Amino acid sequence: MKNILTILISLFLYQGSANALVIGSDLDEITIGANFSGQDLLVFGAFYSDPSLPRDAKGDVIIEVKGPPQTIQVRRKKSFFGFWLNNTEVTFKEVPGFYYLTSTAEINDEVLAKNNITLLTPQDTQEIEWGKIRMPKDRHDFLNAMKRNKNNLDLFAINSDSAQIDILDGNLFKTNIPIPNTVPIGNYTVSVYLLINSELKKDYEYGFKVKRIGIESMIHNLAINFPLIYGLLAVLLAGLMGWISAEMFRRLRKL
Amino acid sequence: MNIYLPIAELSVNIFIILSLGGAVGFLSGMLGLGGGFLMTPLLMFIGIPPNVAVATSANQIVAASVSGALSHWRQGLVDVKMGMYLLAGGLFGSYTGIWIFKLLTSAGQIETFLSIVYFILLFSIGILMLVESSQVIRDRIRKKTVKRKLHYHNWAHRLPFKVRFYASNLYISVIPPIIIGYFIGILSATMGIGGSFILIPSMIYFLGMPTSKVIGTSLFQIIFITAFVTLLHATSTFAVDAVLAFTLILSSVIGAQLGVLFTNKFRGEELRALLAIIVLAVAFKIGVDLLIQPADIFSITVIKELY
Repeated sequence: MKNILTILISLFLYQGSANALVIGSDLDEITIGANFSGQDLLVFGAFYSDPSLPRDAKGDVIIEVKGPPQTIQVRRKKSFFGFWLNNTEVTFKEVPGFYYLTSTAEINDEVLAKNNITLLTPQDTQEIEWGKIRMPKDRHDFLNAMKRNKNNLDLFAINSDSAQIDILDGNLFKTNIPIPNTVPIGNYTVSVYLLINSELKKDYEYGFKVKRIGIESMIHNLAINFPLIYGLLAVLLAGLMGWISAEMFRRLRKL
Repeated sequence: MNIYLPIAELSVNIFIILSLGGAVGFLSGMLGLGGGFLMTPLLMFIGIPPNVAVATSANQIVAASVSGALSHWRQGLVDVKMGMYLLAGGLFGSYTGIWIFKLLTSAGQIETFLSIVYFILLFSIGILMLVESSQVIRDRIRKKTVKRKLHYHNWAHRLPFKVRFYASNLYISVIPPIIIGYFIGILSATMGIGGSFILIPSMIYFLGMPTSKVIGTSLFQIIFITAFVTLLHATSTFAVDAVLAFTLILSSVIGAQLGVLFTNKFRGEELRALLAIIVLAVAFKIGVDLLIQPADIFSITVIKELY
């Protein structure tokens, strides 16, 4: 309801600009509780332009979702006497914990690169600790390995090579962004870009939060902020359960 | 149905966890073993991060050993004094173990380390159990009875700082129990096990303790060692997952009681032969994973800014 209102207000505000977007989303918070197994984030919107314009003139939409920054170590295994052991490592800092890119049409990679729409922008790539890895090809392998491994965890996807966002009625579009159960906690940003005649502009940006709720959040906070109390409670609970079970089954056996 | 593990930060199918806990509990109840040496590698097989598997497994063993120690305690089969000396060494050992664990984690080798030590451990346990149980079965078929020595006199009896252990009828140096405890402590903290399968034979062969007191005493000291290891992991690796531990304890105590019921239905040596095969199968899987080139030679770890 709130979102629809936002759209109406935006429509009113955007009057006068020739091409623009209005955007809404069904969630401003994703909560991780006891049986969280991933969730879809619905992002929808409309082109604000003359409805009689042909589809091409309205341009294309790119939606980029970025999760909270993380430090990621990528390790390469090497065979030592037949055993596969971790050997060299590279540390990537400030990598979005979640990255998802989708669009209404196939988008040229050059356009994305020119506008810094990528997992690691050139500013970020200075945050990489390459260690012993010097060859450009090796470095490329490590970067790709990071993307591939994050992709396997459903935490990284670039879908700009084909039209993934549905367009309804020529003016409306919507897409579901799959948020997996491995998703990191923190602040996320959704950036929406409008591409007209290979001119790209960021049109809209908003944030949402992924947070823990309920007993999971209590347990996690206790474990991080008061680890000694948490540890003592874990030990006490285990001891108590062991004692109760022994007593219970002893009495059961007597029956 | 999925359950979210707040420390492992992933959701798993609750029935997988329940059946894993139940199965390990069943085997441990049936054979009188702790089962930690199966729990940790099996948790890692289903995708639990190695640090969480080790720390949580230690937490689970607290419950299993309290449950087991109580019945031995009631029958007066615990040598508390011996337990205390083992414990003294064990506390220092677990401290060393945590230090090793953190060192290997930061070097990125903890997974390989666990694979190698678990492979060696499970392979040797499996072979020993298989040989021992098949010998007993063969002897039974040939109707042979084997006489065993009750007391071993060895180097351990010639060391200084001798103390009288009335409950075990021993007059030995305190050095061997402290050293044995120390090594068990290291194993417990690095591998998430109680270590009874090493502790029990050591107590019989090195310390010369009577067999009747060995299990109760080892369970008694394992309670405190694994409790201490849980605390150390909770405060230094932050990897104890209470939700995972709770689920495992719940299913393993029930499994253990069912296992005890089954013990009377089968012969011990046949059960041990069965366990030996299971243990060897797990060892085989770990060994193959170490030797076969992984599908992806790259792996990623997210660094938590907690340590």
